[in-house]
Amino acid sequence: MTSEIYFAEVEGKEYQIEILSETRVVINGASHEIDYQPLKKHSSCLLLVDGKSFEPNTYQENGGWEIILQGKRFNVLVEDERERRLRLAAGESTLQEGRHILKSPMPGLVIDIPVKVGDQVMEGQVLLILESMKMQNELTAPRDGKIVRIQAKVNDNVERKQTLLIME
Amino acid sequence: MFKKILIANRGEIAVRIIRSCRELNIQTVAVFSDADRHGLHVRYADEAYRLGPSKASESYLRSEKILEIAQKCGADAIHPGYGFLAERADFSQACQDQGISFIGPKPSSISAMGDKQVARETVSKAGVPVVPGTEGQGDLTDKALLKIAPEIGFPLLIKPSAGGGGKGMREVANIKEMPGLLTASRREAESSFGDGNIYLEKLIQGARHIEIQILADQHGNVIHLGERECSIQRRHQKLLEEAPSPFIGDDQALRDKMGEVAVQAARAVDYINAGTIEFLVNGNKEYYFLEMNTRLQVEHPVTEAVTGIDIVKEQIRIAAGLSLQHKQEDIILKGWAMECRINAEDPFRDFMPSTGLITQSILPAGPGIRIDTGVYSGFEISPYYDALISKLIVHEETREETITRMKRALDEYRVLGIRTNIPFHQALLENTDFLAGEFNTQFIQDGNLPVSDTPMDQSLPEIAALTAVLATHKRTQRSAVSMQRGRRNTSNWKWINRWERTKE
Repeated sequence: MTSEIYFAEVEGKEYQIEILSETRVVINGASHEIDYQPLKKHSSCLLLVDGKSFEPNTYQENGGWEIILQGKRFNVLVEDERERRLRLAAGESTLQEGRHILKSPMPGLVIDIPVKVGDQVMEGQVLLILESMKMQNELTAPRDGKIVRIQAKVNDNVERKQTLLIME
Repeated sequence: MFKKILIANRGEIAVRIIRSCRELNIQTVAVFSDADRHGLHVRYADEAYRLGPSKASESYLRSEKILEIAQKCGADAIHPGYGFLAERADFSQACQDQGISFIGPKPSSISAMGDKQVARETVSKAGVPVVPGTEGQGDLTDKALLKIAPEIGFPLLIKPSAGGGGKGMREVANIKEMPGLLTASRREAESSFGDGNIYLEKLIQGARHIEIQILADQHGNVIHLGERECSIQRRHQKLLEEAPSPFIGDDQALRDKMGEVAVQAARAVDYINAGTIEFLVNGNKEYYFLEMNTRLQVEHPVTEAVTGIDIVKEQIRIAAGLSLQHKQEDIILKGWAMECRINAEDPFRDFMPSTGLITQSILPAGPGIRIDTGVYSGFEISPYYDALISKLIVHEETREETITRMKRALDEYRVLGIRTNIPFHQALLENTDFLAGEFNTQFIQDGNLPVSDTPMDQSLPEIAALTAVLATHKRTQRSAVSMQRGRRNTSNWKWINRWERTKE
């Protein structure tokens, strides 16, 4: 295995981590012995670092990692040397303005859609009511805008992350 | 005694009831929806029958179908558990009409306590203090409620008459936001209970939710089993319960008084079987009747732990016509017990429900630990029912030792494949206010986790960074391997080059 260098950002702090072999890494210049056993399909792993035992859960969320470790959550952004070079060359990407896509935050049943295409809505206005695990949840507009498309119907069963409606 | 009991429920509570039946040497019958064919209750029962599709209205709420199964398989009693048909007077009545014992109160007691407004009037007449609200005024229109609201005073609560479990409940801070909340409350009440009637109640701020477990037999004996502290709630859903309450603590006089009042409230409706009187208690130790739950409660195990009484067995004995085995003076609370409700919810995403396959489940065990669950590794969590996947109950001598034991148990607990609220409980048990017993029903504010005030192990962020890097590295290796395996004419390196160019 060839050595590889990664950069990880956690809570605003950056760590440079070099993987030397299956059992050795260098974190910010300090060498550590590791034993890493991914639990495939479980989003988890068994990890020994200099003999200390950890069992972090590893979830891929929004292009980064969400690590749950001893009941605490850490959002980690990881890039390798090449990715970092590309990003620095391109400069920080500009945020997309304009459309807001309302996606279902959970699987559930659409109870009501109190808006229709063409409606002007205000921030905080209820766009859709979703029932999941017997609780009704009001999904609201994050800002003022206009409804341009509705992709769900009342009584639809929707999946998590399914697009429900689009506003401009 | 009964020969065969049908359990008209699912999940952990169905399993819990089956266990007591078995120990009493009673045959058990499970019923199930399509989503639950693999449920533990179906696997543990002696017999099991399909009710219908997964939706509760097409399965666990089909009372006629359940009675038909009970008749066909020769069950002589039905235990409703909690939720579903547990507090439906018509179901209790239908059982009685068909000569099957309903393990719970009489239809008249369920009706009297089931309509929260009627309940408030009834106990108020019996001399039990109630929270000020629109009691005694019947079902009011939105217009009338808006008129009365300023007289009760803000903040107040809108509550469904037929409610329970926090569904349809809304907090109102001022008159301006009230019309919208009335609509939302009626809508949720209508869909949850088929009854859109609501009433108003003053919101007692800084109050604790403390409830008293009672047992009443058919021979006029009523006793209480002490209190449970249930103030740790989010959106009126309990998350952690303990017995005794740290707020009552050594105040035996207050415990006795509240117990007596609870017994009085139960007697006011000729109550039979196990039931719970919920109180709100303010900082001055003044208590108000909140409601009565005419069923077995989710959190009954903490009372079982400190009293040594199997409440489900008592329920069955009472329904079979036996007298209570214990007198009030026999009930002595021993040690401290705590229950964490483990829900399939993501505490880092505003407690969003998490569904899917449980790929691995390792339960805590060892001294003083009890787990009630209906799921296991390989079981699929569906969105059709509530999010409760298990109850973790621990028992020790003192509150401090109980908390230490609970932390140990939570650390051991592994549920993989779905998200759970275990991290929430871990943070809660490190919070100094919680440890000091200083909390009320507003302790868990919407969307906020209790912040742990113990300094975090400084190496944790570094371990998290390392974990993410190793996971990324592994993934890159895997994709590299699959690329080598693919039969591409050009070399992989050329292909990567092309791909990179198209990206720019």
